[in-house]
Amino acid sequence: MTAAVAAPGAIVDRGAVRRQRIIGIFYLLLAAIAAFVLTSGIAPEATSTFALKPAGSKTGLDIPNLVVPSVVTLYAVAALCGFLGAIQLVRGFGTRWAVVLGIAVAVFVFGFLTWAAVGKSMSLIGILQLTVVKALPITFGALSGLLCERAGVVNIAIEGMLLTGAFTGAVVGSATGNNIVGLVAAGFVGAALGTLLAVLAIRYRMDQIIAGTVINIFAAGITGFVSTRVLQLHRELNEPQRFPQIPIPVLSEIPIIGPMFFSGNIFLYALFVLIGLIHYGLFYTRWGLRVRAVGEHPRAADTVGINVLGTRYRNVILGGIVAGVGGAYFTLGSTGSFVQDMTAGRGFIGLAAMIFGAWTPVGAFLASLVFGFADAVQARLSILNIALPSEFLLMVPYLVTIVVVAGLVGRVRAPAADGRPYEKE
Amino acid sequence: MRTSRALAALVSAAFIFAACATAASPTPEPTVAPTAPPTVAPTAAPTASPVDWQACMVSDTGGIDDHAFNENAWKGLQDAQAKLGIEIKFLESRDESDFEKNINQFLSEGCEMIVTVGFLLGDATKVGAEANPDVRFAIVDFAYDPAIPNVEGLVYATNEAAMLAGYASAAWSKTHVLGTFGGINIGGPVTDFMDGLVAGAHYYDKTTGSKTTVLGWDPVTKTGSFTGDFASIDNGKTLSLGFLDENADVILGVGGQIGQGAFAAIEERGVTGVGLGVDVDWYVSVPQYKSLILTSILKKIDISVTAAVEHAFKGEPALPVYVSTLANGGVDLGPFHDYDSQISAETKAALEDLKAKIISGEVKVSDYFAAP
Repeated sequence: MTAAVAAPGAIVDRGAVRRQRIIGIFYLLLAAIAAFVLTSGIAPEATSTFALKPAGSKTGLDIPNLVVPSVVTLYAVAALCGFLGAIQLVRGFGTRWAVVLGIAVAVFVFGFLTWAAVGKSMSLIGILQLTVVKALPITFGALSGLLCERAGVVNIAIEGMLLTGAFTGAVVGSATGNNIVGLVAAGFVGAALGTLLAVLAIRYRMDQIIAGTVINIFAAGITGFVSTRVLQLHRELNEPQRFPQIPIPVLSEIPIIGPMFFSGNIFLYALFVLIGLIHYGLFYTRWGLRVRAVGEHPRAADTVGINVLGTRYRNVILGGIVAGVGGAYFTLGSTGSFVQDMTAGRGFIGLAAMIFGAWTPVGAFLASLVFGFADAVQARLSILNIALPSEFLLMVPYLVTIVVVAGLVGRVRAPAADGRPYEKE
Repeated sequence: MRTSRALAALVSAAFIFAACATAASPTPEPTVAPTAPPTVAPTAAPTASPVDWQACMVSDTGGIDDHAFNENAWKGLQDAQAKLGIEIKFLESRDESDFEKNINQFLSEGCEMIVTVGFLLGDATKVGAEANPDVRFAIVDFAYDPAIPNVEGLVYATNEAAMLAGYASAAWSKTHVLGTFGGINIGGPVTDFMDGLVAGAHYYDKTTGSKTTVLGWDPVTKTGSFTGDFASIDNGKTLSLGFLDENADVILGVGGQIGQGAFAAIEERGVTGVGLGVDVDWYVSVPQYKSLILTSILKKIDISVTAAVEHAFKGEPALPVYVSTLANGGVDLGPFHDYDSQISAETKAALEDLKAKIISGEVKVSDYFAAP
């Protein structure tokens, strides 16, 4: 970093060359693992079976299982990774290096799953379904984060908002016996936390990271306290009905895509609507243009008459609502009861997804799918009794988060005024 | 040092007298669960005449009416009271910092015996027991190595009961695939259940010639699926979804409430499947999912607690480990409730036979870890 100041051009070039070389060697390493480590001890005639039809599915639609010869597949994976590595080392892929990296990793992961399923059947469709389920709360968190950051306020408090939303959804949903009321209440509590963050960050110009952290600690503390003191004794306050699954006619019958995206509950469909709305709103409406202006250059926005602080307030509160409703998914959509600290860092992974998705709603969703996939695969590997300790597997989603954020984040750009309080002159 | 201890004894004695003078009921009012007072008075009166001997219970977090551990242990004390005419009382621990505080309070109240519920109290019980060798202790789900002479460790051979559950599950399963996961791979208290399930399925296969797969646990290599904690229903649900995707239709989740994730998963996938209850009869304790509970693997903590109190009351030396087994009724397979009609008479007879063979020692759980 400091060296870059002295001779920017030369250092950056050399850094880029070194990076290309490292990536090339990485591909060769993947190829070597696939060819030598994963193939060891596999009988040449062994096959790996990937089920594509959901277990117990009642639909008429029948897709055959994908059966691949294990060893041949692994050698093919190795050959492809090796080929990519050779090209990478010889002449590089230029600006498309990131795409190629994604392809190489995806190919290798397929090889890995092939190895995990040798002589067995693995439900690929189950992993994909679980990917979406796991990505759902992460995406809500990412959308909350990008609503705030597009307007220039860093929202570290997503985790706390998700947690409080989960708690409120469960308690209000149980107390009133009505899930919708629980969901609305979760949105309100999210809005309240959003307002708190907004007041601290905008009105009092407090350091936004610290303000967010304070809210996280507050949320974990208050929900944990009430959960041990009240919910343990009054279980009827923690037994909400879960929202039912609503398979969409026709669409849910599409192979692979149907079970993944069109057999969820209300949260999944709400998420699709939300992604569409925010995408359209941010990039095709006057509101979105103003929000982005406030996030990039608040002074310029101010001089043309945009209410900078008002815009920020509104967006942070909106972000709070999104995170509160998303948090309710944990209880009303997923497990049906609140457990202390049940969000388990999903809010922070949501932040990572927002960054990985370059502060766009669609990008954030796709990034969340990557993290959801990591989560889904780790759960599946432990079931298939792979020779990796379960403690390590549980770590995988967080590991992927670190690798992705550390490795790719340098390439994306945050809104210019992100995290900086605005003062009128 | 000596004077301060004497002073402490004097002060605590003063408190005891004060307590005796003011408290009409032997149970401290503020901590009494709603169900406790009516059961304490009537059961004590008609049986034995009150004896000046107190058995006191410190609960784990989760409350005395938790439909599980604590409630069950308290029932054991109530049974002991009915049988022996002793006085009983309890204190609830709201969090882990209460453990030592509650034990000390009972020590100062002059309890002859203190029962602590749950392995989380292991350290606090050890401290209290070593400092007070004249007071008898019993701890549920824990045993010390080396043993402490005045502590009776109550442990449970849940693998025996789980083997029966494994047999019943294999018999009920339409897909011949079972799934099991645990909280943390800490051995005994968690994995005994999983061992038993696998062994029961293997025994079923051996005796009926079918082929059942158990996912999520290998009793030979001691590896399998774990949620990483004892609280995350969400992780339990995630693993359960995986089991269902791999065609399992009976799921056993071991570790507090994580097992309830199985029910959420079955509802979400909309498939035919059941879960198994752990420790207590979940049909009663988790009624919102009772239509999805095949049976439960019961740990009859009350029986072992009553036995431990009896040992202490009769002045017998503390057993370092008191193992609850199928033989002494300390563990058992729960009722099938709604699924009773789906378990054939043949299977029920086979279960009785297996139970008798485990009790007689003819069948050992560990002999069925490997597939036949």
